[in-house]
Order: sequence, then structure tokens, then C-alpha cells
Amino acid sequence: MSASEKAHRANGADAEASGSAGEPAAKPTGERPPEKRPFLLDFFPLEGEEATRLSRFYERLREGRLSTTRCRADGELHWPPRVACPRCHGEDLEWLDLPESGRIYAFSAVLGGAPLGMESDVPYAVGLIDLDGVPLRLFGRIEGRPWSALAIGDPVAVEPYDVGDGRVFYRFRALDA
Amino acid sequence: MSARAVALVGGVTTPFGVRPTTWAEMAQEIGAALFRAVPALRTEDVDSLFVGAAEPERFAFQSHVAPLVAEQMGLRPRRILQRTELACASGQSAIRSAYAAIAAGLSDVAVAVGVEKMNLPSMAEANTSMVCVMDRPWDGPGGATAPPFFAMVAQRHMREYGTTEEQLAAVSEKNHRFANANPHAQFHAKSFRREKLRGLPLVAPPLRLGDCSSMTDGAAAVVLVAEDRARAYTDTPAWIRGTGQYSDFHNLAHAGELSRWPGLTAAAGEAFRSAGVGPPDIDFAELHDCFSISEIVEYEAIGFCAPGEGGRFVEDGRSDLGGDVVVNPRGGLLGCGHPLGATGIAQAVEVHDQFARRVPAARQVPNPEWALVHNLSGSANVHSVMIYQGGRAA
Ligand SMILES: [Zn+2]
Repeated sequence: MSASEKAHRANGADAEASGSAGEPAAKPTGERPPEKRPFLLDFFPLEGEEATRLSRFYERLREGRLSTTRCRADGELHWPPRVACPRCHGEDLEWLDLPESGRIYAFSAVLGGAPLGMESDVPYAVGLIDLDGVPLRLFGRIEGRPWSALAIGDPVAVEPYDVGDGRVFYRFRALDA
Repeated sequence: MSARAVALVGGVTTPFGVRPTTWAEMAQEIGAALFRAVPALRTEDVDSLFVGAAEPERFAFQSHVAPLVAEQMGLRPRRILQRTELACASGQSAIRSAYAAIAAGLSDVAVAVGVEKMNLPSMAEANTSMVCVMDRPWDGPGGATAPPFFAMVAQRHMREYGTTEEQLAAVSEKNHRFANANPHAQFHAKSFRREKLRGLPLVAPPLRLGDCSSMTDGAAAVVLVAEDRARAYTDTPAWIRGTGQYSDFHNLAHAGELSRWPGLTAAAGEAFRSAGVGPPDIDFAELHDCFSISEIVEYEAIGFCAPGEGGRFVEDGRSDLGGDVVVNPRGGLLGCGHPLGATGIAQAVEVHDQFARRVPAARQVPNPEWALVHNLSGSANVHSVMIYQGGRAA
């Protein structure tokens, strides 16, 4: 089993997203069970349905759709997605796809002092992005252009990506204005 | 039941910096220093202990720190023993909790202590711990350390109000100058002129190294007592007259317009209301300058100047000795370093020492009567404010 598969299995990713690693299906007998990844040293959450009630967020992200929850009782749009509405405290929520584009409200970059696992990413740009057409401002990485070539108001695209071990997350990619 | 008045009757800090010592050793060190600093204090007087510690689990691999600290300090609390955790404001939370307990009659003599050990062999590990202050599964994957958040605050403040990098450097220059007169400051005896600050490397643009407080090891402790006990310990108590706290978000998505901090306006407003004073009454303030831009936004949110005028306020010397209000005469987080849980306690030590005329002349505020202390925590998620009045013991 490959390292990424091993991490994938340890993190409980669902069946749909696994199984395409290109390795033989038959496993050697007597293999030790996979070691658990040290979750407390890793920013990326456990995404499977045995770990979180928001696993559909990650399933949809794997399909290329950034989504969130909306309250069926009062229409409150949440970010991040939730299991209970903070406004009316109801638990009847529905999933909703979010726009795939937005504009930079503010940005900076990490030029030093990066956390574990991100040292080799330095320098990396981050920003707060106003999504088009919804009252949501999301934080995330901005790829595609060095920080010094970004400007407030620049358009960006939402970009789901594979973390590298079967898990997924989202970031933003700077577009030509 | 009417609340009792509460006095802060003494306190002390360890040296702040990169310390070749452990978390628990610093708890012993601050215990020894506290009993030297408050000679009338006896072990058996202390009925309660509040321990401000932000991340001992991560920085020292240690939980259940309240009894650990009691043992290290040689205390046996018989009424209330607890840890208070509010990230960068854990220390002020310890003081507020002690204040509430004494005011309610549940404690007569309490110690509030803050301990933090942040410098680890791997600074990447320490940086990882700092990200855990954020909404980790949502903001963590983007690499949300503190500097880029406050850098975005600076970027928006510059865009909306014309605040300049020169004005940011003026905050840092002032606070480092005060730190030079504070032997316990991390950056004691180091010169930081504005031109030098402007030439330091960028950490998170537009913020440079000199705009950012440091990862610091240190501890601080204060003694709080009921009004009728104050005279037994000091002739120069600092009376807690007002307090306020406000939180309106945690996830970075809800940080609002960045350049204004309405949560601080609310917290300071409640503190002013409960103390019966206003911004013009404050002689000096210990503000949470985790970054240079923070102090500028704080002048405006507290009401020392109008929104958008914070940059000019510092540039014109109005937050310096001889100005409207002396801000961060201790040297601030920029000059002293920022050992999370110890910071709020160290600010209160400065309030007591200023009222007692016990600080070096280069940072002594002339005839101070009213002081304001502010801590923010995380990405300015929570604002905590206390107002003290100097005066004779009852
Ligand atoms: Zn609702």
C-alpha cells in the first residue's frame, strides 16, 4: 500500500474517492494495520463520514464544488458550513453550491515563520476573498501570482485541490483582471 | 450583596526573552520573585490562585497546570484554583477571574499568575501552535499565522485612511524606546530608530520584523485583595474600577471590515461606564500592540482619537510622554516580547509600579491617577479591558 493510500485509509476517506491509486487490489496477507496519522500535527481535518457530520462538504469539494449550508427555517447562509444554525439554533439545514469566483478584499503573504509542513511553501500569499453574489468573505491561499503582483479587487477563482493524501481542500487562483 | 472593591497590591515579572529554562521552572522563579516583591505576603494568606496559560499543552506538553503552578510556587489554595485560557489574553482573564471572586466574597487574597514558554527547538512547531488559536480546520490549511491577518488590517487601514509605514514605525520606535528603560524587556538595551525599523525585512507585507511582537518566554504574577486587606500589603494600591469584554467573531471569514474594531469599542465602553470615567481621564494605557498597526486601531476604537486618525496620533507624539495619554510605557509587546499568558499580568504589574512611582524616570508617567489595560486575543476576536485608579489604601 502506498504512503498516500495509507494516510487516506487512516483518515477514513470514503470509498468513492479511494481505489484509484493504480496498485494491485490484492493485499499481502499478514500486513500490519495502517498506522494512524498524527492528527494533532496536521491542519487538514479528518474528512470522512465517521469523523465529521460535514463530510458532504468534502465529498462535494472532491467533485469540484465549493458548498456550504443554509438554514431551511430562516434562510441564514453559513460559513463555514454547520450542523446547527447560529441564528435560530435549528438543525434543518440544506447544502448549497457557492459561486466559483470572487475578488480580493485584502491580502498579505507569509514570508517567514511558517508552520510545520508549510516551510517549503514560503513565500505564500493569503487573502480574504469576497465571493461574487453572496455575502461571504472567505480566507485562503492565493496561488497563481506572487504576492507583489496582487491588488485589492483582483478577480480570483475558487480552486478545490487534492491535499496529496486523498484529502481535499480549497484555495484561490488569481485571474487576469 | 454589594460587590467589594478590589485592589492590586503588588506584582512582579521574570525577565522576558529567549530563556534557557523550562515552563515549570519559570513558575518557581515567579513564585520566589513575588514573595520578594510583596514582603508582607505569606503563603497561608493566599486562598485562591488563577493561572493564565495559553498553550502549555503545545509549548510544554503539559495539561492540568493550575495545581502544577500552585506546587511550583509553593501555594496551597483552599478556595479557588483554576487555569484561565483566552489565548493572548489568558493573563488578563486570570486577573478578571480573581477580581470577580474577591468582589463576590468568594476570595480575600488571590494570586493571578501567567506563564508561557514559546521558544522551542523547532520554531515551525511553535508556529503550528500559534495557528491553533485560529479556527484550525478552516483557517489552518491556508496557513493562517498571526502576521498575515494583522498585515491585512494594516493594508485596509492604509487604503481607507492613508496610514503610512512611517506611522507604523513610529509606534514601534516609541515602544522600543520605553523598553530600553525596562530591564526585563526582551529588547532591553537595543536601539530601534525609525530608519532602522524601516529597513528590517518584511514578515507579512506591509509588516516588517519591527512591526511584530516576538515569541517570548516569561512569567508574571500579581496579588489582588479585598478592600479591607489592601493596607496590610501596600501604601500604593491600584484599585480595579471598571472592566469590559466583548467578542463578535472567531473564524477569519467574520472579521468584518478589518480597519475598525467595534468589539473593542464595546469592551472599552463597558469598562468606562463601570468606572465612571472616559478616554480623556486616562493618564496612561497598556494597549495590546502585538503588531504596530494594532496600537493604531486601538487608539481609535477606545476613543483616544477619531477613526482614521491613529497614524497621525502617534506621529504627533500624542501617545508619548507629554501627550494626551502615554501608551505602553512598559515597552509594549513590541519591546517586552509577548509570552501569551504572562502579557496581561505584566501589564498590570506596570500599572501598579507606575502608581507607586517605582519605574525608571525615562518611562515614569507624571502623577498618574487613571490607567487602562487592553488585551486582544487571537485575530482580535476578543477584547478585554480593565480600568485602574491609583490612590491610598483604604
Ligand atoms: Zn436558522
